[in-house]
Amino acid sequence: MEENAAKKGMPHLRFTFVKSPVWGKTAEQLRKDVIEGTDPITGKPVMREIVDELTTPLSDEDKTTRTIQQSAGPNHFGPDTAEDLQRLFREKGMTDYLPIVLPTEEKVDAMLKATSHKPDEIVGKISPTAGVYEYWSYTVKQVAVNAVMAGADPIYFPVILAVAAAGKESLSSSDNSFAEALVINGPIRDEVGLNYGIGAMGPFNHANATIGRAWTLLSINAGNCGKVGETYMGVVGNPTNWTNIVIAENEKESPWKSFSVRRGFKPEDSVVSIFEGWGVISAKNSVYAVWSKEMNFAAELKNIFNDQDQLFGAVAVLSPAVASYIKDEGYDTIGKLTDWLYKSPEETAPHFRSPAQINILVTGSSNNLYWDYGGMRYVKSVSIDKWR
Amino acid sequence: MKLRFVIFLIAPLCAGLWPSNQVMAKERKKSEPATAIEPKFTVLSPLGTPPAIKMLAMAPRPNTLDDRTVYIVDDGFVGGDVLLKEMGAWFNRNMPNVNIVYRRKAGGFPDEDPALWAEIKAKGDAVIMGVGH
Repeated sequence: MEENAAKKGMPHLRFTFVKSPVWGKTAEQLRKDVIEGTDPITGKPVMREIVDELTTPLSDEDKTTRTIQQSAGPNHFGPDTAEDLQRLFREKGMTDYLPIVLPTEEKVDAMLKATSHKPDEIVGKISPTAGVYEYWSYTVKQVAVNAVMAGADPIYFPVILAVAAAGKESLSSSDNSFAEALVINGPIRDEVGLNYGIGAMGPFNHANATIGRAWTLLSINAGNCGKVGETYMGVVGNPTNWTNIVIAENEKESPWKSFSVRRGFKPEDSVVSIFEGWGVISAKNSVYAVWSKEMNFAAELKNIFNDQDQLFGAVAVLSPAVASYIKDEGYDTIGKLTDWLYKSPEETAPHFRSPAQINILVTGSSNNLYWDYGGMRYVKSVSIDKWR
Repeated sequence: MKLRFVIFLIAPLCAGLWPSNQVMAKERKKSEPATAIEPKFTVLSPLGTPPAIKMLAMAPRPNTLDDRTVYIVDDGFVGGDVLLKEMGAWFNRNMPNVNIVYRRKAGGFPDEDPALWAEIKAKGDAVIMGVGH
């Protein structure tokens, strides 16, 4: 709070903390615990502190209107040993606490050769939560440094630049511990060897793993995200934040048009799309996902989706086999499926605000009829080709 | 019986390997310098560029809240309305000369509400903003 107020130009903004959580309490509880309680930071009575803050005269510093230039620090570190540099990066909060590839000039130069864009070109900006925290901007070179640290091969760099250009943080400051996902479509999937077969969302592929990790390192370092207590407040955290949920669609085996084509891109375009929300889990976690001799997957989806929160809508990550079953049930386009999923029985309000709140993705192998679901909403798509 | 057999079999194998391991280690030591020098690296900073901070002058403070209008603004966080209405009730009980106006800010918590800001500027003497995230 104090840090954020300072960054917004009021380092001496007056505030009183109250005992959390506030929601879920009655008026009487809040009166006793909060209004008649004390500020857990200062120990002063809450209301006395508020009245003092409203009536104490301003200092000269409080009236200042100058501009202060900020610096992120030196451009380089070292020379030092690999072990000491690994420790330095950890201590400065510039890692995800896993070992990094040290971003030497040589490795960064090799990464930069994988794009036609100049090293000092501004790629975008990220805030730990849009509209709440300040935005930090970053250049192609700064993205390259983080891509090297993540262990990415240079051929992945246009994908990472496209993710960076989206300007979306992978680590939200929210106390909700959100998950983030990348959906990758087009020829780039095969060019860089992304996995969309067995274990597509798991740790079984270098491109999937390092592209996803680069997003989080970029968010931490170039976007000032993930500073626990300052720009990160997730109550329980989210293990998918390390490499995020990377979904290269299995376009070859999917019975439907790919996600990016449905968003208006051409099949030959390489595109990355950003999703955010709660994450995904196996549909077998739901009481509605039952094995039977005659499956009705569309009905299963509808039952599961109607039990989900509205905030992020619903997403299904289907194996090609499940997708083909659904197509054979009469849904030869995703539009038909999402329209049906959205519709509710007559005289009842639809569960979601629109069919657009329901997203269907296809990846993985066809060796069994499993699929994942979750509450994740589409944010935006960015052309990867523009960053080649 | 089985255990004895295994131990018996392994012992001669180890005995056979031990001397050759020692010889190899000695040969390695001969070829290495007395003190190995760890290589040192210079690496680039991964940090982005923070924006300049434009300092804002804070609103002047009244000397007293008596006969003044204090806006209590709710940003929409769950339960914030209950808490802030209790805060208004505290003023009514303990500082009845203060005119309290409760308002729910338009939009989500990060959104601006220019109409409300203008109203407060015109009619208010102070603001208490409930910020939940």
